[in-house]
Amino acid sequence: MKLGLAQISPCLADVKRNFEIHLENIEKSRLKKVDLLVFPELSLTGYSLKDLVEEVALNPRNNPYFKKFKALSREISFILGFVEEKETGLFYNSAAFFSGGKILHIHRKIFLPTSGMFEEGKFFAHGKNLKTFDTPFSKMGMMICREFLHYGASYLLLAGGAEMIVVLSAAPGRGVSKEQSFETSRMWELMGEAISRFSSAFLVYCNRVGFEDGVVFAGGSFIYNPWGQCVARASYCDKDYLLHEIDMNEIRQARKRWPYKRDDKPEVILEALKRIVRDYED
Amino acid sequence: MKISGSFVEKVLTSFIREELSKSNYKKAILGLSGGLDSSVCAFLATKALGSKNVIALIMPYQKTFQQDVKDAQSVAKLLKIRSEIIDITPMVDAYFSKYPTENKIIKGNKMTRERMSILYDYSAREKALVLGTSNKTELLLGYGTIYGDTACALNPLGDLYKTQIRQLGQHLGVPEKILKKTPSAGFWPGQTDEGELGLSYKEADRILFMLVDQMVLKKEIIGSGFKKETVEKIISLIKKSEFKRKMPPIPKISARTIGHDFLYPYDWDK
Repeated sequence: MKLGLAQISPCLADVKRNFEIHLENIEKSRLKKVDLLVFPELSLTGYSLKDLVEEVALNPRNNPYFKKFKALSREISFILGFVEEKETGLFYNSAAFFSGGKILHIHRKIFLPTSGMFEEGKFFAHGKNLKTFDTPFSKMGMMICREFLHYGASYLLLAGGAEMIVVLSAAPGRGVSKEQSFETSRMWELMGEAISRFSSAFLVYCNRVGFEDGVVFAGGSFIYNPWGQCVARASYCDKDYLLHEIDMNEIRQARKRWPYKRDDKPEVILEALKRIVRDYED
Repeated sequence: MKISGSFVEKVLTSFIREELSKSNYKKAILGLSGGLDSSVCAFLATKALGSKNVIALIMPYQKTFQQDVKDAQSVAKLLKIRSEIIDITPMVDAYFSKYPTENKIIKGNKMTRERMSILYDYSAREKALVLGTSNKTELLLGYGTIYGDTACALNPLGDLYKTQIRQLGQHLGVPEKILKKTPSAGFWPGQTDEGELGLSYKEADRILFMLVDQMVLKKEIIGSGFKKETVEKIISLIKKSEFKRKMPPIPKISARTIGHDFLYPYDWDK
């Protein structure tokens, strides 16, 4: 299976221009016979939208750009990020999986970072579900940026049977040291390594680059195999396009050797969680 | 607090390039004092935009800082960027001959604002964006003139402490003489930042790094071996200068108010 990661720099709130950037990358990937192309979080709108959220929001059912995307997905599958007006006046930070002429799944971001430099909770409604879905390649799950740092979210996808987890990200770089990357890039890679290894699943992380209001998005998109090994990484902070072929049979190999998935006990965890939550003090 | 010069250079030159391109500008302009910060900024701008697209204004007052003028000229020559010397003495003296003062700070602030006024005038004439040269240490301590040297279109050095700027300067090849120069705002001969603040940059930066970047509590910083008076002085300087880092408050009386809940990105429509 051939993966493409478009480490782009979307134009803030310019959906038309970003639509064109998507078309260019979809066409490039189609020519390279990519099976699945991944774009970053809010790839169609840019990230620091604030009160512009409403202006760039769209409804997947009747949006002309989405009509075109659906048509293009007959030849290649792809995942992109956008602002969704799901119910009137409610806006979600969403990711859509296009394949076979339709949208297979939409994930709405549940964990909206709202502290320090982040203010998503001020402008977005939060999603309520995290589930896996069938694709032509395997059972998959999607997460958006910060969700990936809540390890419980990854567990839900593992319990749901995900063999590949795709993370769409707009992660800023924070902290400089003697290294040739931001300190936070290592944080994402650490999670990529841990989750891929202990889920025996492929982990695909697509981050964006560019500046918005002085914030620099750190790039460094990556793919980890089910053994927890980084098999491909895009450049830090620069636009890039990552092309990498993976062998889905590695999931079986890894799960035979390390039967974490087989020995998992979601029903025990569910009951324990219920008890824990019930015992929370007011 | 050690930084990778090459990585920081990459990020900051990308920033300069991208900000100019978003605003449809090709050129940048900055005031070159002959000191470390403006030299580092000129190096970054030249790496980002090419020497043809950077203009340096050297704006001395009277003949008191001849050596700094020479140092600034040598940086411009080294970088092959266009530079102009604009003597601000006639403009500043015209004002003070009518409204005299012996207060050196008031005089210095006026000079700094005169330079800002010239930079913005040149910005429009030359279609060049004004680059700020304030570092994180002086922004936090309020060691700058409001609407003077802190005024700019973008400030590439604003998240680097003074000691980190020196590391970056070394990496960029800023002349040794400028790297070793005693930092000064140049308000009067013999003035030094460290003398006026009563702090060494080395110590101030370590304390600021703990306070700001690592969010360490005051008592823990003192507990780690820093003098109580020094830590308190730094905290007090930060608090007193918050107004220099913010837009002035607007009393909210309408349903939606600038600065309160009229919330748009700086990069709106860019």
